[in-house]
Amino acid sequence: MSDTKREIQELLVDYAGALRDGCIPSFLKSLTREEGKLIASSEQFWDATEIVRVLNGVGFADKAVTADVGLFMSRVDANIVSRLKKARASSQRKRPSRLTSQKRSGRSTKSASKTENTEKQI
Amino acid sequence: MDRRLQNALKGLTACDVERRRRAMEPFVRATFESFIRYLYRYLGNETECEDVLEDVYADIWEDPGHLSNINSQRELLKTVYMYYMRKRLRQVYRRINRHLNLSQNNLTNLVAPELGVFEMMSQSELKQSLHRALGKLKSRERRAIELWMEGFSNRTVANELKTTVGAVKMLKFRAILKLKKLMQDSYQAE
Repeated sequence: MSDTKREIQELLVDYAGALRDGCIPSFLKSLTREEGKLIASSEQFWDATEIVRVLNGVGFADKAVTADVGLFMSRVDANIVSRLKKARASSQRKRPSRLTSQKRSGRSTKSASKTENTEKQI
Repeated sequence: MDRRLQNALKGLTACDVERRRRAMEPFVRATFESFIRYLYRYLGNETECEDVLEDVYADIWEDPGHLSNINSQRELLKTVYMYYMRKRLRQVYRRINRHLNLSQNNLTNLVAPELGVFEMMSQSELKQSLHRALGKLKSRERRAIELWMEGFSNRTVANELKTTVGAVKMLKFRAILKLKKLMQDSYQAE
């Protein structure tokens, strides 16, 4: 990508190249303030990006080498398990704090033990 | 819609967390190919596609509410893009946004745009439509697009067409705009 101010057609072709090569961040970082403004105001650029994505999907998505579904499934399952653990840990953390706050608020020991009983049942 | 996918969707919308977790496997197996190809349009990078898709599936497991009344594959893809993929696509580049000369709004439109006509077409429909539109371009324009789609650089395309890199960029820009018009016209005519 050149470091001089690019015209809209050059910006589009550079965007298309970056999308094809999977390096959108470097394209985004290469934009100068003027180029950012040019993109924002150009209707043609936005029209063309739609087709660039189509070309990328049709031309290259089939050639992309993706993971085996079984392996990928284990990643998804690990992600789910980690979220489950987080949810359980946060709910466990909440319980004692609720009990102590109830004690602090001057409730009788009877009501506190009632809460404990309920929690055991759950 | 595929019966296996229908059953998986039923399991996904169950209240029980463990049942939802079990339903994820057939759901992933039935949708992985189409979802990853769809994401590839926006990212162009297999590793990022897999990272985003992993989070998308986990989000679906966590909050499958939007998938309760899905009747077709197209509707599924549309809903998943609208409610799960877009959010994750935006997050991919959010962290670099503070160093960019592009507004948040424009960045969002570039990396995770609103659904357009072409976004909702299946891969085979897009291929057909693109093939028809390419056939209506001038031979130089078509050649420039075809070479680019084969993975050649602008320099190589310029050498092939015996012109300059600047002229190739202009040629591609015009060809892409023409393609947009042709594909839109044919979609409306259908």
